[in-house]
Amino acid sequence: MNPRLRLALALAALAGGLVNLALLLRTGHGRPEPLAFLLLVIVGVSWSFVGAGLVAWSRRPANRTGALMVAVGLAFSLNGLRLVGTPLGFALWFLVATLPAAVLAHLIAVFPDGRATTRLQRVFIAVNYATTVPLALVQLLLVEPARLGCGGCPDGLLGIGGRRPYGEAVLAVSGLIEVGLAVLLLWILVTRWRRASGPRRRSLAPVALVGMVLLVLYLIQEALLVVVSRPAPFDVGFDLAILTLLMLWPLGFLAGLARARLDRSAVGDLAVELGEPLPPGRLEQALARALHDPTLQLAYWLPDRHAFVDAAGRPVELPTAGGDRAVTVLRHDGDPVAALLHDAALEDDPALVRAVAATARMTIENERLQAEVRAQLEEVRASRARIVEFGDAERRRVERNLHDGAQQRLVNLSLALGIARSQVGTASEEEIALALDEAAAELRHTLAELRELARGIHPVILSEAGLGPALASLAERSPIPVTVTAAPPDRLPPRVEETAYYVACEALANAAKHAHATAVTINARQHDGRLLVEVGDDGVGGADPNGSGLRGLADRVAAVDGHLHTDSPAGQGTRITAELPCES
Amino acid sequence: MRPTLLIVDDHPGFRSLARKLLAAGGFEVVGEAADGHAAITAARQLRPDVVLLDIQLPDIDGFEVTARLRDGEAGPAVVLTSTRDRADYGPRVDQCGARGFISKAELSGAAVHAFLGATG
Repeated sequence: MNPRLRLALALAALAGGLVNLALLLRTGHGRPEPLAFLLLVIVGVSWSFVGAGLVAWSRRPANRTGALMVAVGLAFSLNGLRLVGTPLGFALWFLVATLPAAVLAHLIAVFPDGRATTRLQRVFIAVNYATTVPLALVQLLLVEPARLGCGGCPDGLLGIGGRRPYGEAVLAVSGLIEVGLAVLLLWILVTRWRRASGPRRRSLAPVALVGMVLLVLYLIQEALLVVVSRPAPFDVGFDLAILTLLMLWPLGFLAGLARARLDRSAVGDLAVELGEPLPPGRLEQALARALHDPTLQLAYWLPDRHAFVDAAGRPVELPTAGGDRAVTVLRHDGDPVAALLHDAALEDDPALVRAVAATARMTIENERLQAEVRAQLEEVRASRARIVEFGDAERRRVERNLHDGAQQRLVNLSLALGIARSQVGTASEEEIALALDEAAAELRHTLAELRELARGIHPVILSEAGLGPALASLAERSPIPVTVTAAPPDRLPPRVEETAYYVACEALANAAKHAHATAVTINARQHDGRLLVEVGDDGVGGADPNGSGLRGLADRVAAVDGHLHTDSPAGQGTRITAELPCES
Repeated sequence: MRPTLLIVDDHPGFRSLARKLLAAGGFEVVGEAADGHAAITAARQLRPDVVLLDIQLPDIDGFEVTARLRDGEAGPAVVLTSTRDRADYGPRVDQCGARGFISKAELSGAAVHAFLGATG
């Protein structure tokens, strides 16, 4: 906050207090003793609130709590008007007399955020202020001054007098409104306390407890006013208790701030703890302890994946703004390094979170690298499992093809030959020739199927002649028209050729089977030490890169340190691009 | 009198060849079925002496069909067959109540007769 403003507010509070004290001295004798004593305490309350408020304001400028505390303090110094001693002075005091309590109620209702977050809070604050000066004005107009506490005032204080019949009703309604507001505030406090998380309760505690005691005291006092006819001694006693509590309350709040400062010594402890090598996962616990948030979660940024992961390499979702959870992202040269996912209450003290994060930066960087390695390991494990599974599935497929195809045909061939054999001697030569023709046809089909199957296992043209001829042969045999727009003229390392061919085969199979494409282009070209294989079709698009086919393809490409990219917007065809390093 | 026989297999090519072969081998082929359920229905209607039953069928497998056909002693003699070898199926062939197993490539009238002779 602006130092000039701070000085001005401090001086205003000091001056207000001193004026009050001067008024107290000037009135000298004849003043009601309990009142004089109460006023001394009120000056204490005023200075205490303004002082603590200014400290809080400077420490957490974004939080309105400090400003509200200063406002409470300044409002309390208005009480000196009571001592001016003239009816006009009394009337002025009476008009603003409920302001200190109203600002205080506002403060209690929104502590520690400093702003209303629920509708109930907003309604309370609005009604709370609406019933200060306007209600006092009605009372001044309609109630006889003696009932308001000004024994020596003339009946028509503001020029209107003799409205007694209404006066009592006004007092009763005012009392009901005040009690209603107190009960509502108590309700707000209790519900907020019950819903608050651990860290939030820590910051809510000083005001919630004092606020509840204050409200309960006030309600007892009101109840006594109804029961006891002459409540003055009780009244002064209660006022004194309430004011003393109020005077001490900002000190308690300051103690809370000091505890936050002490928490920075927890940062020191953290620094010591981080001096030793930590077992995995312990860093998160150490940070949770330093920030007093057992729900704290540490997530590391993986630039490769553009995602946050936990220490075990599993993906972590960041919370959205406005909820119970908040996130503080740690950056290095503008790039994210890690994120602390914590209770939103910690946002009250961003400096503490930053201090803890800065202290742990080196360790976090180390753990991030470890998390990155673990995530890669996790990915390698997963892809290894998928590759093994894929290999097994392929073997099952080959077995099934052999069984349903070639084997079945060979059985038929054997039966046909058996029939021909059984016909020798009994049937005509034509019949036997017919049976043998059937057997020969079966054999030709069998050979064709076996060739196709063998080519599916490994196309011999690929190893004999290279990728270009293999792609041309693939295009020739394809059921949908395929254009090969480019193919590398030279031979490439066998692993690269095989992977490139496999990409083309799979993409072609997908285009025919899933995309219902009518044309496919294959483009394979070398660029900058890499082989780029692009297969585009004019099909329905919408291919899922995480489906088993494309996932298997990506694994296969990753196995030669390549990258697979799938671009398949719905209704706009599919383009699969593999980038394969081909320097062996 | 020639024993009656029902052929159960999902490949029409095999069924027609087996029909010719077994007809030449001394059987009267009274019907064909392409899956397990059709086989059970056909066996009830036609009451063949023998069912030549492929193990791999599109709906229920040959072992299950055998168990249902053999439910009660009055059922037909079942001879299982497959493109695969007997060793591929282990002890299930003996346990399901079939009279025997013939690999498809070795199918002949004599081979089927041999099983019928074994127990009656």
